Amino acid sequence: MKLTRREFIKSNAVAAAASVAGVTLPVTKAAAADADDGIRWDKAACRYCGTGCSVLMGVKDGKVVACQGDPDAPVNKGLNCIKGYFLPKILYGEDRLTKPLLRKTNGKYDKNGKFEAVSWDEAFKTMAEKWIAARKAKGPKGIGMFGSGQWTVWEGYAASKLLKAGFRSNSLEPNARHCMASAVGAFMRGFGIDEPMGCYDDLEHADVFVLWGANMAEMHPILWSRLTDTRLTKPGCEVHVLSTYEHRCYELADNGMVFEPQTDLAILNYIANYIIQNKAYNKEFIDKHVNFTKTPTDIGYGLRATDPREKAAKNRNKGKLSKISFEEYAKSVEPYTLEHASKLSKVPKDKLLKLAKVYADPNKKVSSYWTMGFNQHTRGVWVNGLCYNVHLLMGKIAEPGNSPFSLTGQPSACGTAREVGTFTHRLPADLVTKKDAHCKFAEKTWQLPAGTIPRANGKTDGADQTDISGKPMGKTLIHAVAMHRALKDSKMNCFWVMCNNNMQAAANMNDESYPGWRNPDNFIAVSDPYPTVSAQAADLILPTAMWIEKEGAYGNAERRTQFWREQVAAPGESKSDVWQLMEFSKYVKVEDVWPADLIAKKPEYAGKTLYDVLYANGQVDKFPVEQVTDSRGNKYDNHESADFGFYVQKGLFEEYRLFNSVKGIPKKGHEMAPFEAYHKVRGLRWPVIDGKETLWRFREGYDPHVAKGEGVKFYGKPDGKANIITAPYEPAAEPPDKEFDLWLCTGRVLEHWHSGSMTRRVPELYRAVPDAVIYMNPKDAKKRRLRNGALAKISSRRGEIVCKIDTKGRNKPPEGLVFVPWFDAGRLINKLTLDQTDPLSKETDYKKCAVKISRA
Amino acid sequence: MNICSLIVHTKPTLGPQVSDRLQTFQGVEVHGGSEEDKLIVTVEDKGETVSPVSDTMNALRDVEGVVSTILIYHYGGEESMEEMNREIN
Repeated sequence: MKLTRREFIKSNAVAAAASVAGVTLPVTKAAAADADDGIRWDKAACRYCGTGCSVLMGVKDGKVVACQGDPDAPVNKGLNCIKGYFLPKILYGEDRLTKPLLRKTNGKYDKNGKFEAVSWDEAFKTMAEKWIAARKAKGPKGIGMFGSGQWTVWEGYAASKLLKAGFRSNSLEPNARHCMASAVGAFMRGFGIDEPMGCYDDLEHADVFVLWGANMAEMHPILWSRLTDTRLTKPGCEVHVLSTYEHRCYELADNGMVFEPQTDLAILNYIANYIIQNKAYNKEFIDKHVNFTKTPTDIGYGLRATDPREKAAKNRNKGKLSKISFEEYAKSVEPYTLEHASKLSKVPKDKLLKLAKVYADPNKKVSSYWTMGFNQHTRGVWVNGLCYNVHLLMGKIAEPGNSPFSLTGQPSACGTAREVGTFTHRLPADLVTKKDAHCKFAEKTWQLPAGTIPRANGKTDGADQTDISGKPMGKTLIHAVAMHRALKDSKMNCFWVMCNNNMQAAANMNDESYPGWRNPDNFIAVSDPYPTVSAQAADLILPTAMWIEKEGAYGNAERRTQFWREQVAAPGESKSDVWQLMEFSKYVKVEDVWPADLIAKKPEYAGKTLYDVLYANGQVDKFPVEQVTDSRGNKYDNHESADFGFYVQKGLFEEYRLFNSVKGIPKKGHEMAPFEAYHKVRGLRWPVIDGKETLWRFREGYDPHVAKGEGVKFYGKPDGKANIITAPYEPAAEPPDKEFDLWLCTGRVLEHWHSGSMTRRVPELYRAVPDAVIYMNPKDAKKRRLRNGALAKISSRRGEIVCKIDTKGRNKPPEGLVFVPWFDAGRLINKLTLDQTDPLSKETDYKKCAVKISRA
Repeated sequence: MNICSLIVHTKPTLGPQVSDRLQTFQGVEVHGGSEEDKLIVTVEDKGETVSPVSDTMNALRDVEGVVSTILIYHYGGEESMEEMNREIN
């Protein structure tokens, strides 16, 4: 029988599913799969979340036509989620941008003009003029770039060089500030080195799973299916779920708990107290491997300094740790009794006790998972740390199944934002701009004169760094939320947003973001494949080649670095972010941004462009263009290499490796394999030493940095010990009151990823979940005389929107709380949210502000 | 045109029953796995402008006895119905 094309494709689809499931099918169904379907299949890391699934992308006639879960991938083992299923379609939205667009009137740039198509040359000339002027007039904070945890590794690296070395500015932040900064802060304070010690293999090794503010079922569906599999097949396995509202994970929960916002702090301290009171702690482990410390309290909420809540804070923004004894630590958690924790959190006592017991049981392996519930928290660094406290007290850490694990929301928040270090205070491989020695190492590696990179405090060797204006550099750090404030206050005049949608994503759009972007003093550029809310609020839009339209690399939440090849060409004149960063650097001369005394230290750089100094430096450009070919002989284009005349991605990656994988580097533990290795495998988890990846860090036998006989060594800290850091429960910044009587929590839904700029352009996903709704408790709805499906006005002190009420949906909030997702560009929930941050990590808290709801 | 394959995990021993329930949905076929309680399922459309497959997949999740649905394969090429029909004839 001759198969029709449809039957043929279907038989391939069936064979793929059967093979993943381990189900045997009748022979006729399986046979067709071996035949050639004319589709070229190649691996890629999924474009969406931080899970880092590998997907096989099927290309035919220069277009992506199919996709399947990669059966050879250790992360997803052939599985795929609903968003992954629509991956081919994100490239082909009808309103894809293909030309640079500049606001103009009568042929000239005009902030109030209409968007007109311009050449890349005109776009960059206009932009460079603005950037050079702002850099001179306003200092290092006069310009700013807002990048992404969705940037490829080398895009983040190229951006870090352009801003920190080229423009001599630390005004570089990723959107990962909004999602991972609290996790980073806790890793650095607790362990002195970033990212989880465990890996996804813990999903099969643990006896108990505890979810803290992570809706894995919707946000990390593939990890959830691995967890589900363990729960259903391993005798005695338990799942505990904590959140401020009931979501899909509760369907599998053995112990589901809904707690009052902010009281996770109290619950974790109760568990620590329970462990101590019952003398269940692992004394040998804490004696050998742990220091006890405390952190300053009453630290404010990261609001503008003029806010009364900031003025009232005793230790605003303070976080310096001081050592305490075990006894002092025990005393600090003593007030958190079962009664007290239950009263604050509103979680029944028996449930809290059940939870505390699994942590305290030395024979149960416990893996804790969290995402934005912990991180987007005005005490985010504290609450991450409180969870490590519990694991450290028991010694349940850094071994199979015992794993406190911070999940990631973006595909390369780890690989790019954190590892490359595209934060204002960071340099590649965990180096920081507040350390003179780290900056000097970076300058040597980048072949720059000493003193080029701005130090956090503007001083090198104790003396002021001179700025292009001739004045001292001054303090140079500026975080994401402060950038929008600086734009509004005209302290920052140029802003380049790349690979994210910050107008829609940042909190308090009405009072801060929008006035900042549309401030007549400012020039805003947005690079994006689509006309997002951000693009439309910009002055210059740069059309961008996305994801597999370029050769790329992402790093996922389990330290796995994954590469892909360019699968298809980008439409029209769109160009990748790395191309845009490097091409733009040709429009700026060293003299435009460096003072004469700095150039005098390296006279051969006089008259050169930033491109010459940063990328054509003999190091990045040393690998010639080569034909990219896979192991089956398929050939792939590489547009960046063709345009610049060298193997761009390889050059940037190999220079990056000089920070993490050669002798004499300041911080060990981030070692990576050579460029070629990653094209051959489904990723490798760093540290990679002699081609071998590391599954569990800090533990002898798994981590090559821990010597024989050492057992456990937290080598990120000089004494090899981790910090238990005590911190109390403190209230949220804006709890509900009489007028604004409900908590608002924002977040995502399964079908849409982040601001929806990609998923909302897939007709099927759009249709599945077209609009944001207000998930509400039926009793709260009834009190306001609202029915399921009714239109309602939701408002805060900052703004209002109109949405439909949903009392029967997948999320079931308790009385007193509503949940509204933020993907919907037509219903911008960030008009309502408060620009509050964790004062230590500067990460926004999107989970807690006060709103009221009435009939629309 | 959309063709997807899924693995549908069912509650223990309910494979055959769930299989029958799934087959009542338009565009849904079960190809095996009912003994293992892991059904191999395809969902396809007929080339509608806005495909119903994602709605169908969502609906499958809510069928009694279903524990989870996992997508494995998706074909989303733009073949016209005419081309498909020609091949079939």
